[in-house]
Amino acid sequence: MTPKNFRVSSKEIGDTAVIYPQGYLNNVTGESLVQECTEHIEKGTKKIVISFSKTELINSIGISMLLSIIEKLLNTGGELCFTDMSKMLKDTFEMLGLTQYITSFDTEAEALNYLKAVSHP
Amino acid sequence: MSQELQRILYNLTSLADLGHEVTSEKEFHDRIKSVLYVVMGTFLTNKGAILICEKGSGEFAPVAQKGFAGTDYRKLRTGADIIRTLPKNRPTLFNEKELNTAFAPFPANAASVLTPLWVTDQFIGVFVIGDKFSQEPYTENDLALVSIIATQLAVTLNNYGLFTRLSDQIEENRKLFEDMRRIYHETIQAFAAAIDAKDAYTKNHSHRVAKYSVAIARELGWTEHDLEGIYVAGYLHDVGKLIVSRDVLNKKEILNDKDLRELRSHSILSYTIISKIKFPWRDVLHMIKHHHERVDGRGYPENVPADALSEGVKILTIADSFDAMTSDRPYRNRLSMEETLNELKNCANSQFDGRIVAAFCRVLEKEVRGELPEPNILPHLDQDFDPSVITEMLAAITEELSK
Repeated sequence: MTPKNFRVSSKEIGDTAVIYPQGYLNNVTGESLVQECTEHIEKGTKKIVISFSKTELINSIGISMLLSIIEKLLNTGGELCFTDMSKMLKDTFEMLGLTQYITSFDTEAEALNYLKAVSHP
Repeated sequence: MSQELQRILYNLTSLADLGHEVTSEKEFHDRIKSVLYVVMGTFLTNKGAILICEKGSGEFAPVAQKGFAGTDYRKLRTGADIIRTLPKNRPTLFNEKELNTAFAPFPANAASVLTPLWVTDQFIGVFVIGDKFSQEPYTENDLALVSIIATQLAVTLNNYGLFTRLSDQIEENRKLFEDMRRIYHETIQAFAAAIDAKDAYTKNHSHRVAKYSVAIARELGWTEHDLEGIYVAGYLHDVGKLIVSRDVLNKKEILNDKDLRELRSHSILSYTIISKIKFPWRDVLHMIKHHHERVDGRGYPENVPADALSEGVKILTIADSFDAMTSDRPYRNRLSMEETLNELKNCANSQFDGRIVAAFCRVLEKEVRGELPEPNILPHLDQDFDPSVITEMLAAITEELSK
């Protein structure tokens, strides 16, 4: 798979949806990530983990997609976790202030552990 | 690296993204949507819209938008005068001035920054972005960046407008050309109808000759442009018969020398009438003047030898003779298909060019076999022949003439 062929998959673990974007999140094909998360949110999922293990690059277009997901989930009172971020991604999210709306973890397992303890009405 | 430096680098990268998107080969609306996403990701807002002001109506239409659901952009028109007075390609903050009218279409506090888009003295539209997700205010640096983006956006939208207007103009010219072309062909057909009306025995002869000629020329690989030329020549080749007396045209007895001279004058008369027209196709006048010449140089009006006759005239000659043989005439009934094909074969390389006869036989064979989706010859014939006999004859003639 080339970085340009952006794809997204997901799985549900308990009450949590884990989303796996794959490829560069730098053009409008990233709308599929928003769409995937929106479908889970509309089904009532309030806990979402996005694993960036296969996403090396994000630009301003990708940031606008993530912001859209953050807004949708926060509006429902949900919780969003980012995991497996490269240092560059982590620095970018911190610099832009996105980290105040999400919780970041090194691994998916840590995020799932954390969310287990979080209860939503 | 300090966060401030990181932020500057991020903004610079966003400008590079913007340049990449506006110059990409994506469809225009996808390009503008990408530009909007770049802007929203740069300023961390979930609301943005890019609108163009339509020339003439003055209505604003969104080219890309996000987060302004339910906004009636038509209301922007009432604030257009105020928007036009704002500095060109400079962002204006909602709380900076009394801009209630300009911001009227947007939900309360949703639109934070409005930038009128201009290219020199052309008002292009409006670029609006919402409040930051963090609710932090837009800084001076942010607004400077918005201004740079707006300038680039205005040029992109203007170029698209120019391109669209040019495309519309081209489309309008194309329709005009098609109308003129249609009128041209209808006029030619009216001419042909006048010839046919004079000679009851040659009803639709010009139409059939045009169709047969096109069929042969297409078999020989002519271009669509040249096919149109021979089609017109087919329609007009007998226009000189308008001057030949009706008595001669419809005479049942053998023509005397005087009658024959008058009848044979029709190809020169056709040429004289048509020579005033400057055709956009090659050889039309030559085809009309010489459609009764023979490859053995014994035709009329000028006994032109084969090497001085164009391929077009050789095609027209066969199309004309084939239709004459398969039609009733005042002095004889039409020939059967077998008789006609034998005549073509016997006259190959004397009256007709053998290579063109072979091409004619090939295309007719394809039509009889049903291999051509739009046959040009077969529909005009009384098909009282055995297809298997005819296809065999055609194949044999083609083979013999190809040796």
